Amino acid sequence: MDRTEQRARSILDTLGEELIGILTPVSICMFTVVLLVCLLNSDPSSPSSASFSSIATAAYSESDSDSPWAKLLGAFLNSLVFVAAITLATFLLVLLFYLRCLNFLKLYMAFSAFVVLANLGGEILILLIDRFRFPIDSVTFLILLFNFSVVGVFAVFMSRFSILITQGYLVVIGVLVAYFFTMLPEWTTWVLLVALAVYDLAAVLLPVGPLRLLVEMAISRDEDIPALVYEARPVIRNHHDSRLVQRRVWREQRPSNSSDDVENNEVVTVVRAEEEVSVSVPLIERSRAEESSETFLEGIGLGSSGAIKLGLGDFIFYSVLVGRAAMYDLMTVYACYLAIIAGLGVTLMLLSVYQKALPALPVSILLGVVFYFLARLFLEVFVVQCSSNLVMF
Amino acid sequence: MEASRSDEPNQNPNIDRTSNPNPLSPIISSAHVWPTIDGPLGLTEEASVDYARRFYKFGFALLPWLWAVNCFYFWPVLRHSRAFPQIRNYVVRSAIGFSVFTALLLSWALTFSIGGEQLFGPVWDKLVMYNVADRLGLSGLA
Repeated sequence: MDRTEQRARSILDTLGEELIGILTPVSICMFTVVLLVCLLNSDPSSPSSASFSSIATAAYSESDSDSPWAKLLGAFLNSLVFVAAITLATFLLVLLFYLRCLNFLKLYMAFSAFVVLANLGGEILILLIDRFRFPIDSVTFLILLFNFSVVGVFAVFMSRFSILITQGYLVVIGVLVAYFFTMLPEWTTWVLLVALAVYDLAAVLLPVGPLRLLVEMAISRDEDIPALVYEARPVIRNHHDSRLVQRRVWREQRPSNSSDDVENNEVVTVVRAEEEVSVSVPLIERSRAEESSETFLEGIGLGSSGAIKLGLGDFIFYSVLVGRAAMYDLMTVYACYLAIIAGLGVTLMLLSVYQKALPALPVSILLGVVFYFLARLFLEVFVVQCSSNLVMF
Repeated sequence: MEASRSDEPNQNPNIDRTSNPNPLSPIISSAHVWPTIDGPLGLTEEASVDYARRFYKFGFALLPWLWAVNCFYFWPVLRHSRAFPQIRNYVVRSAIGFSVFTALLLSWALTFSIGGEQLFGPVWDKLVMYNVADRLGLSGLA
């Protein structure tokens, strides 16, 4: 009885801090993507960007003249192709991990981070410079971009690095990839999000799912998965402590007397960091067919120090949803943001109940999509009527 | 090396320590200063020297931002001027390098943007970024 009271007290004490630790970067990512969308897409009625082609539009590229049924069908085909590509890539990752090619994976991750930061980051910076006519010269620009990318690669690649800077760079990578995904055609984006939510559910929870296999392998070998994962700063319970806290990604289930401190001091059990590695996202740059894939993580788990980990794929697809909502109106942005945060809260609660790796996409994405369509179809009419009659504005 | 965290028994009388037979004597006092900004989550002192040196050396590859990150990461070293002499050596040199490079770069960039065409002539149009991007076709994405 005493113990349960203490356990309740200690969870409540630190719950807020841990939640804020994961909600803040998600919110920052979404806010930045909305900002970029608002700044850079000045013409919302223009036809879907025909210049952006990637594997997600390989099967069908949308044009305004098609009927809704054709667009829906095309969107389904696109999503199918994309999810198939991701499944293949994830199985490849599982295979490589099984064969212990960890160095190759780490190098690949560093390389993909560099490509994302330099290529996509450079493109977005150029778009911003163009939009604002900022008189910067190319030499300075190149030096700044080079610095930015190389330090980003260090932050992602090295295991012990400043927590704040690593988190910042992961959020930046999420923002960059998400912004490019918002440039997909509209129907494709929505169907793709729902398809990915279903895929995530299957890949993590089914016993044959690639992510679950990866997680189990990593646990059994007690190794890190080399992938892009956002780990919130572990909450230090005891400030008198002066020993070094080893932040490791993976941890076996050990008896409580030798493990790190978590919320409950009595039985420190499953401080397993379980992550799902998934989404190898191939992006093909406009006409240049260079393919860059990144190993992102999707899913939420607990780190070895009890900190919450959220895969970068989740950041990206939440931001894609909110960015696409921003292309319609800011009202849908608010609705979708609240829906996603609520979904993330639900997922975190489930995480604390089940104590295993969970897919973070399904609940949030489904809530977000539902709220987007509700807001677009019903809320807007209501609010416009209220405003025009000066009831509420 | 993996160190585990545990509470000192005399400071947390409420917490039930039934499971830990590992009595740690406080080897390091609670006023211990960590060399990195992350505190106990960061590096040990020995690893810090290595890191500081590597960052300092890599920064010479036109990477002033790496020097700045070095200073940021080892900020406690700069604040407590008497601790960690080896690390402080590298961090101070990184700070100096960063300031010098930034001063040079900033002066060039400001001259370029403020001087504009009057100072440079037609070369300005060739160097400015949005024209370069247009010429190389990089800015027509959206």
